[in-house]
Amino acid sequence: MAAPPAAAQLSARTDVSAGGRYVWHGISRAAGLVAQPSLAVELRAHRLSLQSGAVLHYELDRVSSGELSETGAGGRHLGEEDLWGQASVDLGPTRLHAGLVRYVFRGDSGTGGVGSARNTTEVFASLSTTGRYLNPTLEAWWDVDRVRGAFLRASLDLPVLGWPFPPYAFVFVQTEMGLNLGQGPDPARPGELANFASRGITHVSLGLGTEVRAGRLSGIGVTTLAFGARSQLNADDATRVDGPGRTRDFVVWLWTGVTIVLGGAGRTGQ
Amino acid sequence: MSGRRAVLLQAAAVLLVACGPTRLRVPGALSPAPRPGTTAGALQAGFARVDITPPPGVGLAGNGPEGAEARGYRLRLYARVLVLADGGGNRLALVVADLPLSSALLHRRVAALTARTDGIGADRLVIAVTHTHAGPGHFFEAAGYNDQGSSVAGFDPVMVDSLTARVARAVHAAVADLRPARVAWGSRAVWGATRIRSLPAMLRNIPMPTALDAPAGLALEYQLVDPELAMLRVDQRESASGAFRPAGAFSIFAMHGTGNAPSNDLLDADIQGLVERRLERHIDPDGGFVPRAVYLFANGAEGDVSPAWPPQSRCNVPTLAPLPALDGPFTRTLWEWRAPTATHLASCRHAAREAISVIGKRVGDDAVALFDALGAALTDRLQLGRAFATLSLRDNAHALGICAEPALGISTLVGADDAHTRIQGWLLFGLFDLGFKQGSPNPNVPGCQAHKRQLFDAAFGGLPNHLFISGNLPSYAQVMVLRLGDRVIGAVPGEVTTTAGRRMREQMLASARGAGLPVSDALILGHANGYLEYITTAEEYTAQYYEGGSTIYGPGEAAMFGRALARLAASVSAGDSLPAAAAPPLDLVVGHQRQVVPRKSAGHVPRPRIERVWCAGDTLYAWLQLGGAAEWAVTTGDVALRPRVEVVVDDATRTVVSWDDDPALEMRLRSRRGGLAWWELSWSGVSGRTYRVRIPEVAESDAVGCAMP
Repeated sequence: MAAPPAAAQLSARTDVSAGGRYVWHGISRAAGLVAQPSLAVELRAHRLSLQSGAVLHYELDRVSSGELSETGAGGRHLGEEDLWGQASVDLGPTRLHAGLVRYVFRGDSGTGGVGSARNTTEVFASLSTTGRYLNPTLEAWWDVDRVRGAFLRASLDLPVLGWPFPPYAFVFVQTEMGLNLGQGPDPARPGELANFASRGITHVSLGLGTEVRAGRLSGIGVTTLAFGARSQLNADDATRVDGPGRTRDFVVWLWTGVTIVLGGAGRTGQ
Repeated sequence: MSGRRAVLLQAAAVLLVACGPTRLRVPGALSPAPRPGTTAGALQAGFARVDITPPPGVGLAGNGPEGAEARGYRLRLYARVLVLADGGGNRLALVVADLPLSSALLHRRVAALTARTDGIGADRLVIAVTHTHAGPGHFFEAAGYNDQGSSVAGFDPVMVDSLTARVARAVHAAVADLRPARVAWGSRAVWGATRIRSLPAMLRNIPMPTALDAPAGLALEYQLVDPELAMLRVDQRESASGAFRPAGAFSIFAMHGTGNAPSNDLLDADIQGLVERRLERHIDPDGGFVPRAVYLFANGAEGDVSPAWPPQSRCNVPTLAPLPALDGPFTRTLWEWRAPTATHLASCRHAAREAISVIGKRVGDDAVALFDALGAALTDRLQLGRAFATLSLRDNAHALGICAEPALGISTLVGADDAHTRIQGWLLFGLFDLGFKQGSPNPNVPGCQAHKRQLFDAAFGGLPNHLFISGNLPSYAQVMVLRLGDRVIGAVPGEVTTTAGRRMREQMLASARGAGLPVSDALILGHANGYLEYITTAEEYTAQYYEGGSTIYGPGEAAMFGRALARLAASVSAGDSLPAAAAPPLDLVVGHQRQVVPRKSAGHVPRPRIERVWCAGDTLYAWLQLGGAAEWAVTTGDVALRPRVEVVVDDATRTVVSWDDDPALEMRLRSRRGGLAWWELSWSGVSGRTYRVRIPEVAESDAVGCAMP
């Protein structure tokens, strides 16, 4: 078409994920059947984009005493909600992100859940690049509220193979490693919370997933279905925790998800 | 069994059948015995042409996953017909259509109509295609080609029915046009326009091919082509004057229809379309939008022959990458096939258009020179004959000397040099070679398909092919030998390589002469009456280039076709009808049925109108509302007398400088709203003048001045 492209594009994305475990920064937060609906919007102008979204963390099965849970025993409801915003810039195959996340916990600390006392805020920055085979991402997280410290995460997405005909399908491997640089206990500030037990590598994970581009939505977006398995080797006492008084060095869980992307971002991809 | 369970089981069975591929049983319709004396005099010839340009939305077949969805059209697609008849009532109909692949289903359906109306059944009808990779799919005989022939999947009965009706009507029109004729056969070498694209495979042949007459200075891949442009010139007698006038021609020339880059998203007749128009305009320079002259430019043994496109005309293919769609801190990575940049695509498409223009002109000029030279050799004598057989490949594999189960090689999936696919060269994790490349035979593959590296065969052997692929491949081959005067023509349902074609020609010629036919040459007409992919020699097969990987019934295919053609060449007959065994019913699995061709137009389609016209750079643009959303370029299926839209110079003469059948003019669908089609015209031929866009006899735009590019 000869008409110039629109100056700005608006996109929206909604995900519903379900899995056997909710893991955050390598720390298992809930086990059992968990679901995470999320919604995000993006405004893009050329190389720059602004994004914002929310993620809710539900525990769908009834939590019994001694189970790993954010809601606490007896719960079967919302355990956490996260609100985030970020700015991104595209530099060829490289993307830079910087943003902020507010974590709000809805559990009952009296029954073993995570309550509002742990509400906190993190800022983050990430650098990711896209290649034919390797898609590495390096993230730096800084808790600015209750923990006050840094956490690094390096991840690598590797496409195994893509089916070239519609409906497009992709098989991929995901690896991840966490590194705690300051989110452990600080003897100088005993009032602060800690996410990890010690400095150093917190976890290493490996996953295999499949994504199927289920269909185009009349030219305005795409729907994808995904499922996969993920495993994690826990290296920190905090990532080993699997419930009150229980630890596990190695965990495996299954996950699945549906994603709908509407608007500019969903129209471009094949 | 309870009633409820039975109902559930029946519902499940219905669901399974509904989700499964469509199966068709297509009967054969052979010609009735000719009735001598129905045509007066000696040789007669009739021509016709029909517009087969479908509406946008169909898949452009031939490039597999890289075949785009058609957004509009450039050069219109036609089916051209020549019917020849002798005094004995024998008729032969030759159809050459601007389509990507030939189809036994289309051939049988057309024959069923023309056998009744014109006495031209399957044994006297050849439907060949130019192999343009910018033509529509969805009408093929095998599921694999309908479902994976392009990025738009599915078999569409409307496409089959539309093409059948249009081609059958054109055959009927050509019969109605039969008039006393004079003809002349000839040939001419065309060097430099084509090249062997899989040279290492060709050089495996024993004896090694040599270039005998090639001009000095050509690279080896250009020297080793078969350069022959064979032509049957046809002049018809005008009823008014009684004089014989040039009317058209039938040609065979080996060249893939891959001038367009695989990323092309417009229906287009490609290089072959330009060659056809070049000679037609030469014969009939004042013929208006559609010349009266008709030139059928068929393909020969083009399996390993590419047009001489430059490397910059091939676009990069999509790459596997994360979709940068709202990748927030907690969102899962989405994947996509990421298309090349718009700038890159525009550049390579432009290079392809330039190459098409240059090659089309070069071959077209040779066709004109040959046509003119044949004017001195015209005769009204042309013996007609034919032999026809249908080979049931799976059922008779052993007797035919081929593999019982067809198989695709990995080299098929990665594409030929004309159109590599997105999985070409893929390495697992960037490290491990899975064989996604050409020329990578697997010496460990046992059995009939030895050397053919198949998808995941290292882990699963032939199981993936057995479960997912072989059932989607064709099962029949309709083979025909025509006698047109002192030439015999072997019509083969596939893409024969140069060396395989040369061997078949020798076998046919020897056999025909042995049977007492006074023939001087044998020709191969590829892409005729069905599609079986490629046909390589046994030596080429072992190299497992694209063509070898696509020789689906194994290394014995070329020898099988050679024997079949030789047998038919010795049994060419006229004046008879063939036994029903020559055309048994075909049981076809044609794939998943889908509504690909748009169906719905507005109940009331208003008069076309021009919304706006402007110039930008070297291009004139116009936005138009033109017809219903589901309309074909020509709704009745006949040839339009005038263009849908044209560009005229803004002066008193209103000289037409372009119309919607011009390589420099693109018609691209902008949208379908309210059952109407809204188009964008772009014409890249401006030369610093003032122009108007005109819908003939309906509307004319204001004048728009375009700067000199």
